Amino acid sequence: MTALLELDEVRAGYGPTSVLHGVSLSVPEGGVVSVLGANGAGKTTTLRAITGGVRWTGDIRFGGRSLRRVSTEDVVRAGIAHVPEGRGILTELTVDENLRLGSYLRRDSSEVRKDYDRVFEYFPVLKERRRLSASTLSGGEQQMLALARAFLMKPRLMLLDEPSLGLAPMIVRSIFEIIRSINQSSRVAVLLVEQNARIALDLSTHAYVLEVGRVAVQGESEQLQGDESVRRSYLGY
Amino acid sequence: MQALLQQVVSGIAIGGIFASLALALVLIYNAMGLVNFAQGEMAMLATFVAFALISRGVNYWIVLPVTLILAFAGGILIQRVVIRPVERAPILTLVIITLGLATLLNGLAGFIFGYVPRSFPSPFSAQTIDLLGVFISYRDLGVIAVSGLVLLGVYLLLQHTTVGLTLRAAAHHPEASRLLGVHVSWMLALGWGLASAVGAVSGIMVAPILLLEPNMMQSIIIYAFAAAVLGGIESPLGAVLGGLIVGVTVNLAGAYLPFVGGDLQLAVGLAIIIVVLIIKPNGLFGRAVARRV
Repeated sequence: MTALLELDEVRAGYGPTSVLHGVSLSVPEGGVVSVLGANGAGKTTTLRAITGGVRWTGDIRFGGRSLRRVSTEDVVRAGIAHVPEGRGILTELTVDENLRLGSYLRRDSSEVRKDYDRVFEYFPVLKERRRLSASTLSGGEQQMLALARAFLMKPRLMLLDEPSLGLAPMIVRSIFEIIRSINQSSRVAVLLVEQNARIALDLSTHAYVLEVGRVAVQGESEQLQGDESVRRSYLGY
Repeated sequence: MQALLQQVVSGIAIGGIFASLALALVLIYNAMGLVNFAQGEMAMLATFVAFALISRGVNYWIVLPVTLILAFAGGILIQRVVIRPVERAPILTLVIITLGLATLLNGLAGFIFGYVPRSFPSPFSAQTIDLLGVFISYRDLGVIAVSGLVLLGVYLLLQHTTVGLTLRAAAHHPEASRLLGVHVSWMLALGWGLASAVGAVSGIMVAPILLLEPNMMQSIIIYAFAAAVLGGIESPLGAVLGGLIVGVTVNLAGAYLPFVGGDLQLAVGLAIIIVVLIIKPNGLFGRAVARRV
């Protein structure tokens, strides 16, 4: 399989504090890859480097093209949907307006309409609340809105930053089922950052474990799940 | 009773002028949390441009849209050249820069056009029309119609177009908007252009009443501040209603309170600012902002 996204020895940080000390990873076309690790390991910073939210050195390539000095807006327009930490919901706007900001750059209007139908199939609650302010949604509903909006962007790659954060286990399971279904039916690649290693490894085919800004372990998700020492020392279950 | 109604209608007309300038202030405040003290001077300069065109014999109804387009371009230019380089500076720096800009534009207008007050034509006749026993001048009706159309246009643009949606998104949530592919920096420029054009309407509407000279907008901007603060500085709808309320209040106070007359009307505007800030600092439509400290 060819790599859709490749990070090559990426170093990044905030001002004088460096957070990533040379991270290399790759996401295949249509694949699901998870990035695991403790708080402060650099998981969020890895995603932020990809969409230009933090300065980085090394190289990041998307579809063979380097993202060096490409602005956040243009990385996104190239086909990367980033659901950031805190979900990036525009709480001043309505649910519908949030969704429209997902699809506003697309020109294939008949496809967009079908995608809206699918979104409302996945998340019926969003249809009910279309006219309401996004600030009235619960945490789980906001996560659904963020995913729905990312799906409507019709990206080639989704970056998901801790979609399970702060949600009840049942909601987490249903959201992960939908991520799986989006990945399988639309062939969207997914780079998933999670603290909840168990559920992330279930979804992904490949995983990287970050420790203080470096890749400590990587491998097939199944293999990592089966390796007791890895599980104990890095994944905490 | 009829005299009262007549005063109310002229109050609404002048209020529409305040509303346009107040809306311009709100557009920029929303985009960057900044009160643009140069808004009035930008409107004044645009009015001089309109004056220059009209005095060369161009038809008023061609001059109006042309001036608005030029004001729009001028607003974008100011944002790109003056504001953008200091976008990330502390807010006080930005405020000082807009004050400097106001002085600069004022001096520039004086340098080019001089300080002699000039009469500015109005396309509406000063004659009155009898509407259900109330005599209203065509001039007031015309000002109300033009301001109303402009405000409606801005509303439709912001609420019912994709550009408006991305403008609002960029203004309220710049970081999240970038992740949706919105070119935030250009949206800020567009916001300045829009504010500049809307403000220019107030200048062009008020010039026939006040006579055109570089300091023409200095009282109007106070009323616009009063309107914006009354409406809640973040709310476009609040700015419009605030403008109408301030216009009517100031007009009635001038007509019925003997000690106010024509001289102390500006003080009424200032009093409105102070009273709102004491009693209801978030204005009619503003929301309380909680800040973590």
